[in-house]
Amino acid sequence: MSNTQLSFTRRYLNMKADKLHYGLAKAKRMKVCYLFLAPYAILFLTFFILPICTSIFYGFTYYNILEKPRFIGMQNYINLILQDEVFLTSVKNTFVIAVITGPVGYILSFMFAWFINELPKWLRAIAVVVFYAPSISGNAYSIFSIIFRGDAYGYLNSILLNLGFIDAPVLWLTNPDYIMPVLIFVILWMSMGTGFLSFVAGFQGIDKSMYEAGYVDGVRNRWQELYFITLPSMKPMLLFGAVMSITSAFNVCDVPRALAGYPSTDYAARTVVTHLFDYGFSRFEMGYASAIATLLFLVMILCKKFISSALEKVGT
Amino acid sequence: MSEMMIKSSGTLVINGKNVRGVLECAASNARFITKKGETAFEFEFAHIRALKNVRNGGMSSTITMKMADEKEYVLMLNAGVKIFNHMYAAWPGKPTQKSRADELHRLAELRGEKIEKPKKHKIHRRHPNRSIGGDIMIYIMLALVACLMAFPLVFAVSSALKPLDELFRFPPTIFPQHPTLDNFADLFVTMGQSWVPFSRYLTNTVLITFLGTLGHLIIASMAAFVLAKYDFPGGRFFFGVVTTCLMFSGYVTGIPNYVIMSKLGMIDTYWALLLPAFAAPIGLFMMKQFMEGLPTALIEAAHIDGANEFRIFWSIVMPNVKPAWLTVIIFSVQSLWNTSAATVIYSEAKKTLVYALQQIQAGGIARTGQAAAVTVVVMAVPIVIFIISQSKILETMASSGIKD
Repeated sequence: MSNTQLSFTRRYLNMKADKLHYGLAKAKRMKVCYLFLAPYAILFLTFFILPICTSIFYGFTYYNILEKPRFIGMQNYINLILQDEVFLTSVKNTFVIAVITGPVGYILSFMFAWFINELPKWLRAIAVVVFYAPSISGNAYSIFSIIFRGDAYGYLNSILLNLGFIDAPVLWLTNPDYIMPVLIFVILWMSMGTGFLSFVAGFQGIDKSMYEAGYVDGVRNRWQELYFITLPSMKPMLLFGAVMSITSAFNVCDVPRALAGYPSTDYAARTVVTHLFDYGFSRFEMGYASAIATLLFLVMILCKKFISSALEKVGT
Repeated sequence: MSEMMIKSSGTLVINGKNVRGVLECAASNARFITKKGETAFEFEFAHIRALKNVRNGGMSSTITMKMADEKEYVLMLNAGVKIFNHMYAAWPGKPTQKSRADELHRLAELRGEKIEKPKKHKIHRRHPNRSIGGDIMIYIMLALVACLMAFPLVFAVSSALKPLDELFRFPPTIFPQHPTLDNFADLFVTMGQSWVPFSRYLTNTVLITFLGTLGHLIIASMAAFVLAKYDFPGGRFFFGVVTTCLMFSGYVTGIPNYVIMSKLGMIDTYWALLLPAFAAPIGLFMMKQFMEGLPTALIEAAHIDGANEFRIFWSIVMPNVKPAWLTVIIFSVQSLWNTSAATVIYSEAKKTLVYALQQIQAGGIARTGQAAAVTVVVMAVPIVIFIISQSKILETMASSGIKD
């Protein structure tokens, strides 16, 4: 019994060794490929992979740049969850923003890309620019600080005052009750980004004869067409769009800082990334900030896994 | 006559042999000139019996021609789509499309029967599964949302054009009654008084944007080329890692990045902005996905001709992925142009335009008009680039999906 097992293990090891040998030979033969990849790979490893690894490492240390990092085990994570109330607020805010703007932004991007695809060509070109422009317009969102300004000269306030809905100006950006809805509105305004563009292009790339075939096979309205024909052929774009909306939903930072101030009233607009920014670049508690970053990485990767398994089931 | 000439480099399969060279199309004939300058094949469009093309991705396509002498020629061309369209338009013997109904009509007319023409619908439906009501709903909804999307941007432009008294008028107006460029002029005055001249910030940003984009384009394309076209150990794994890293924004990796850069002594130099920009995952991702659509035959043919990988990359692959260039350029320009770099650049003379402009915006109520002018200046560049290159960008984005 043990004899056969041993021979099995040995055979397995031999196979692995062969595979490795073959792989190395292949790598040697194709070394010019590595030459091409090298400049990018070196920079990518230094500025994307290494930071992620170091941030996992620093997460277990106390590190303030001046002193050497000191290993403190899980202390950062314990402090984060048990003592840092602001962190819990920021998690709550990020969660609210991510849960609303992520899926809603994603679905809106898809819907509008779909609608735009029905337009004639010249109108489509204009519509794509109008919808995509907010997400590439730099810090144009700062114009919302005029629209939502807290005094009577603010646009929204003046309209509401004139219509008689309110009798005193509302402090949209300083009253904790209103900050979140305003932020969510602005983030949704900016959510037609790269994913949206990918959807628009994806719709144009679908083979038109599939729709005719679907019509013959009994597809009767645009919704059935969407579910049975369009969605399955756009799975790769859907996954790409999902990755992009996870990115934007969890990395909200600039908009709250520009509109609600930094720090905002009662930390009402504090997100995980602004919290990380605060500890990292204002207080230089790099260890603590890294622990936050590590948690964020984990959540984002889990989200992506979840979405790609959900997308597997679409249209079947 | 000379302006009618369309050229494209590519490969011609003649008598089972691949010949590389250039195809020159004139108004009614075309010739294929080899790299040595000999005319390998010349033909009149009138002699073409059948013409077919298969699009390979990008602008390149494979055109199959059958001539009057029953010989078949295959052309693999870089600008194949353009050439095919030209040849098809100039081809005198192209088949006219006849349906079964046309044939029946002709027979009926021969028999002397009268045919009732079907009534024309007032509204023509483009698509079988669409209701007119639904189409109208979509148009209305799109128009409303488009207004909502455009309003803040239009508002930013109109605020920038308003004179001071209109900015604080109650009730506020949307469009300026007396548009003026004073805010832009004031902006230059304010910037002129600052310690570092405005032109310095502008030069800094233009320099960073240009160098960062150029380097990123070259480095990412090189990596994308081997990842897309060669199957080598570790390649697929590497690309998977890049795809995952699409999710991590600069802020999240910002802290350890700062530590790494300070160890490398790059803080307060432009390398701290340029090197991470060179390695931006989105550019590599887009480039690789687009390059997958390039015909492998194009690369193999060049291999047989004795070109090495660098030649292939530079003179065959790169000219063929121009649409992807534009996409990579717009993503890179957009992020570099908008970078404020406040965390890695400390010297005032090295600060970027956006940083300087944010300082003006922080000036409060008194600078409202100038702040709007700032917003317009910053947002104009990426939007204009996008408008100019939209069709190419969409062509690239069509291959952007993630295949799991």
